[in-house]
Amino acid sequence: MPEVSRRALGGLAIALALEGCSRRWPKGANGEEQRLNFYNWDTYTGETTLADFEAATGIEVTMSHYGNNDELFARLRAGNPGYDVIVPSNEFVTRLQISGMLSPLDHARLPNKANLAPQFVDVPYDPGRRWSMPYTWLALGIGYRKSRVDGVPDSWKWVLDSDRYSGRIGLLAEGDDLIRLGAKYLGHSVNGVTPAIMEQVTQMLIRQKRHVKLFHHDEGQDLLAAGEIDLVVEYNGDIAQVMAEDDDLDFVVPREGTLLNSDCLCIPAGAPRPDNAHRFINFLLDATVGAGIADTIRYPTPNGAALALMPADYRDNRAIFPAGPGMERSEYGRFRSIGHIRAVEEAITRVMAA
Amino acid sequence: MRAGPLDYLARWPLRLWLALVGLFLYLPLVSLVVFSFNDSRRISVWRGFSLGWYRTLFEDGELVAAFGNSLVIAAASTLISLVLGTAAAILLWRFRFAGKAALEATLGLPVVVPEICLGVAFLVFFTAVVPWPTELPWPLNLGAIIIAHASFSFSFVALVVRARLASFDPALAEAARDLGAGEWAIFRDIMVPHLVPGLVAGALLAFTLSLDDFVITFFTSGPDTITFPIKVYSMVRFSVTPAVNAASTLLILLTAALTALALWLQGADIAKQAAA
Amino acid sequence: MNGNAPTQRPAQAPGVFAAVGLPPIIWLLALFLAPLAVIWAYSFGENRTLVDIAITGNWANYARALKPLYLAILMKSLGFAALTTLICFILGLPVALAISFASPRGKLLLLLAVMLPFWTNLLVRTYALMAILRTEGLINAGLGAVWNALAVPLDADPFTPLPLINNNFAVVLGLVYVHLPFMVLPLYAALDRLDRSLIEASLDLGAGHLATLWRVVVPLALPGIVSGVIITFIPALGAYLTPDLLGGTSSQMIANVIERQFRSANDWPFGAALSFLLMYMTFAALLLQAFIRRRSEAAR
Repeated sequence: MPEVSRRALGGLAIALALEGCSRRWPKGANGEEQRLNFYNWDTYTGETTLADFEAATGIEVTMSHYGNNDELFARLRAGNPGYDVIVPSNEFVTRLQISGMLSPLDHARLPNKANLAPQFVDVPYDPGRRWSMPYTWLALGIGYRKSRVDGVPDSWKWVLDSDRYSGRIGLLAEGDDLIRLGAKYLGHSVNGVTPAIMEQVTQMLIRQKRHVKLFHHDEGQDLLAAGEIDLVVEYNGDIAQVMAEDDDLDFVVPREGTLLNSDCLCIPAGAPRPDNAHRFINFLLDATVGAGIADTIRYPTPNGAALALMPADYRDNRAIFPAGPGMERSEYGRFRSIGHIRAVEEAITRVMAA
Repeated sequence: MRAGPLDYLARWPLRLWLALVGLFLYLPLVSLVVFSFNDSRRISVWRGFSLGWYRTLFEDGELVAAFGNSLVIAAASTLISLVLGTAAAILLWRFRFAGKAALEATLGLPVVVPEICLGVAFLVFFTAVVPWPTELPWPLNLGAIIIAHASFSFSFVALVVRARLASFDPALAEAARDLGAGEWAIFRDIMVPHLVPGLVAGALLAFTLSLDDFVITFFTSGPDTITFPIKVYSMVRFSVTPAVNAASTLLILLTAALTALALWLQGADIAKQAAA
Repeated sequence: MNGNAPTQRPAQAPGVFAAVGLPPIIWLLALFLAPLAVIWAYSFGENRTLVDIAITGNWANYARALKPLYLAILMKSLGFAALTTLICFILGLPVALAISFASPRGKLLLLLAVMLPFWTNLLVRTYALMAILRTEGLINAGLGAVWNALAVPLDADPFTPLPLINNNFAVVLGLVYVHLPFMVLPLYAALDRLDRSLIEASLDLGAGHLATLWRVVVPLALPGIVSGVIITFIPALGAYLTPDLLGGTSSQMIANVIERQFRSANDWPFGAALSFLLMYMTFAALLLQAFIRRRSEAAR
């Protein structure tokens, strides 16, 4: 015990002392301080990525976390508090860009963009990739415990419209995603949710709610692994992570199709060190670096060159790279309008209040 | 001695009731503390005694930094609350002026306004109206949280100091004034010594309020200004292990120590005040 | 309270008045009332773009807040708060009574014992309750052990854990747990001030203890009771953390909806309107309390 408290007090004292002094960083050849503020999702980078970047360039990266896109947006709303690189999802790339909160990317400083797989070079939410570079892509699906479920639950019906697994279902608390998955289940496009469809989905969710055990905020895979629920709506990468530790778990993209996402690297407007930011993004697009990241976070990578370097157990992993009719019908979501967001919000409040 | 008809405490139904309520209040907290020493990842099945979770806490850099942040915020907001609260108490005790009733009512607001309303008010204020400057070195970047905490706790300090002022004899100040002492000397040498128990109690109150606060801090903190309760909240959401118990136990111990100190210093004043 | 206090006019000591008056008043105006005023202004605004808010001066947000959907949530919150207050009153009155009749030293110890949990962080208290109520929490583990030891050998089914968390029961339990100390202290203060001889007289005249309680004690202690009720009801109404951590799929209270408007729905004007509705209800409760106090003082 004395050893612990001495070390802890010492550590605390040093930490406080260090942080109490204001730091000065040396300036690099590009005239910017040799550091970078990286605002990223939690556990969303390789084990040595940041250290490798510092070793290669001398730029020290400080990473802070946000829990969801809304938190990122709220944080940047009043002005950039000093972040150089952020990782919004595709729809938020649109939101940030139309609100004037992004800096355009200088492709001349991003030679590694040649590594991107062809389908990510030009995308509807960022034509010509003026504002973003892809970091990962994700698919929502159903994670489930094989021994407690009959066969493969390859339809949204089992979580959205059925009492078969009553009391053992976990849904995502993200309202927008729920509504669009419901629309997909009913056979519509995720970007074609009319008020009538929204009403239909809302009623369906209200009916289904009594069979749902809980709504999770992105800890669904932990609840599945702990046995609290047997089916959960979650992202493929999250489920892939817990599948590595538990053979009884599996993942499927329902055959009606799902919502796809892509988390992208952007430079917020007013970033203090845009050149360092470009160098960092280019570094992340490197094949070896990309492979290292993919190996740790187990999400599908949009980097074709990195993918080629990955072992078979990653490339053939059906959770990380889902296949089948569901994937063919899957779509990326699109930001619609403020009015639409408000309608979704109200629909979800109705579901929660019912 | 036979118990009189009003000796309620001696009657067994009331004793049983007290015991049950006591059990209800303390069982969760005691179990929390006990299981922080659990030699296992479970928080409800005892496997053995271990200090391992405390070791995990101290090695978690983010948690230690969050704790440091909480302490600094509490200290700074306590200091500000003391100054403002004492000033307000003296103002209301000594002077009669137009709008005094309105001021007293306004001072009472932080005590009654729901925390969520204050939380969102400060969020909007420090995001859109007066954005707290960015890239400030620690601890200045905690400024927004410190201001928010001071705003809601200085009313409590004013209350406590005012209660203590009620027993101050102005004749002493008068005598000193007659002897030629200036206002500042009177304050420093005569009033402050009398006020010390109230000041200490007020300071401990403000410190505990700041350390305990969750809702207002939840809305005013950011990713680089994480405080202890916020960090524990994300631990509770994502990974419920005895580490959370250990962190909570530390917080309980700190609060209990401060409260005990406050009460010991205030002594008999408490019972009198509670009846006032 | 100011029995022997000087009551000078500011002009008699302008320097001192400025020194003790300006700091708190300026702080109150700039850093307490101003943020609240901003929220109040926003409640009359709307989102023009994703980041700009225009103050339009119309009541649209309030009108939306009074739609059946939100009204229902408000009603549910009022219901939770009322139920919590009632349970706290029933639990707390005997406790306050017992403390008020204890010896001076006993009073101090018992008060301390009641207040100590209150001085613990709200999150810690809620988490402590979570740990007890969970599927593999203390209560279920204990019951399960007992059940498995006694009933299973008799060929009963294995123990199914009770659903004690993630539902409305847990929310009310959590609210009571967190707010009980709030109720006890004002009740104690009021009961402590009672004239004992009145109670003795009532007992001497043959009324039972409960009748005395109901017809003598409660009316006399009414201002204190109302204080305790208000001090419990208002925070319970605006509770955020308890329904968030302990609640189930239909336990959201008004504070949870407000939080969503500011953190994920990006609709600050509407969130502001909801916040202010909550505040107006708070003020109404306080006015009611002042009214009752004035009436009971007049009746004396």
